[in-house]
Amino acid sequence: MGWRIRRLPKAAVLGALLASASFASPAFAAGTPAGTDITNVATASYETPGGSTIDVDSNPVVIKVDELLDVVVDNTDPGDVATQPGDTGEVLTFQVTNSGNGNEAFTLDADVAVTGDDFDPTLVQIVLDTNDNGVYDPGVDDVYVAGTNDPALDPDESITVFVIVDTPTGPTDGDRAEVSLSAVAVTGSGAPGTSFNGQGDGGGDAVVGTTGADDDDSGFLAIQAAILDLIKSATVLDPFGGSTAVPGSVITYQIVANVTGTGSLTNLVVSDPVPADTAYVPASIVFEGTGQTDATDTDEGSFDGTQISVDMGTVTSGESRTITFQVTIQ
Amino acid sequence: MIKAIFKGLIVATAILGGSAVAAQAAPLQLDSDIFVERQKRSEDGSVSVILAEPKTVVPGDSLVFVVKYKNVGAEAASDFAVTNPMPKAVRYAGSADGLELASVDGGKTYGFLSALKVKNADGTDRAASYADVTHIKWNLKQILAPGQGGKLVFRGVVK
Repeated sequence: MGWRIRRLPKAAVLGALLASASFASPAFAAGTPAGTDITNVATASYETPGGSTIDVDSNPVVIKVDELLDVVVDNTDPGDVATQPGDTGEVLTFQVTNSGNGNEAFTLDADVAVTGDDFDPTLVQIVLDTNDNGVYDPGVDDVYVAGTNDPALDPDESITVFVIVDTPTGPTDGDRAEVSLSAVAVTGSGAPGTSFNGQGDGGGDAVVGTTGADDDDSGFLAIQAAILDLIKSATVLDPFGGSTAVPGSVITYQIVANVTGTGSLTNLVVSDPVPADTAYVPASIVFEGTGQTDATDTDEGSFDGTQISVDMGTVTSGESRTITFQVTIQ
Repeated sequence: MIKAIFKGLIVATAILGGSAVAAQAAPLQLDSDIFVERQKRSEDGSVSVILAEPKTVVPGDSLVFVVKYKNVGAEAASDFAVTNPMPKAVRYAGSADGLELASVDGGKTYGFLSALKVKNADGTDRAASYADVTHIKWNLKQILAPGQGGKLVFRGVVK
């Protein structure tokens, strides 16, 4: 089989290369670390007419890998952060990732006055998740001060950032507020390809990547005012099978707790004192169709001698819970 | 500038190892270059791709490797082969002539990439891809007469 050397004219070679440029879009994360040298050496071997084999190395070509400046900001809240008018210290959670290939510090900034939303919260502070547990720990996690503790991240490293805001008293149920966090590479940012001579990690240049070395993402606060309506009704059964209220008649009270609006009510406990001149019928509390003991124990209902009490836990708006209990008229 | 420095190094090497090379005659000159594709935006907004000689690159850059060879000796050379190990930070992306053999095992064995297999973690085989290539090689099985030369061109992407 004959191998032919094709001595293509330069223009033809370039043409062929450019035509295939489309497959060269790479999928890489941070990529080769900044400062890495790419060294290429080709080796040729051949036989002399005398029959000996000779190896020849080419010159080494060395290219340094520059620092690529890239950053990604993501809001990691599972959904809107529920708040109430006047609530303080609401926490929005973001993740800032160095998607470049060198160690880089980032300047953070939070914007609470984004237009197009329903209200503007007040920015309290930006906090870095110093102990890296993903949860805001007041007094433990460091408060961020621009220019002082700009987080420096290795390639592909992330930091969790909390934006702490207060909700004003004005907004009403369903109103939402956008809170945006931006991160900008300290070395520089701008149009992709912008180069900062000699400022790259590892000694090369720093070059702005596809993210512009500047990214932001938004989280949302939502006023979730759940409204509780308690509807109480009574049915009387007298000793004679009728419904007159006489001594000995049993009154069955029904309390329906309706939660409306948005959001949910947590730790909802409904209590009702037993009326004067009546006696509580022991173990008569029924919650959502299930009989309850009177002791304060693992079930939801209890009777403490003067009032019944049912711990309903968290009730989401649009849902209702029903309690019944009985007393005897004395 | 970097290239100029290394040319100087090569000359120095040649002098040091001079006796052996001189005895074999038919010296072959091998010259390696790397270019990078840069997008150039003209004033009318159209984008063209130019090849630049870079000192530095960034991950994702498309590189063009050019290896020039020439028989600068007085005797013909036969069984001529050129091998280029892929630099660690470069993912191979094909050659201009398509005649190269590839190795996916560190240069132990070579074959056309389309025929090469790579073992999966579970022991099964899969077809090798550009990302698996560790070395490429041209077996130019013809006589290279004095004064003859040529050029091998291939592409890579900075990982």
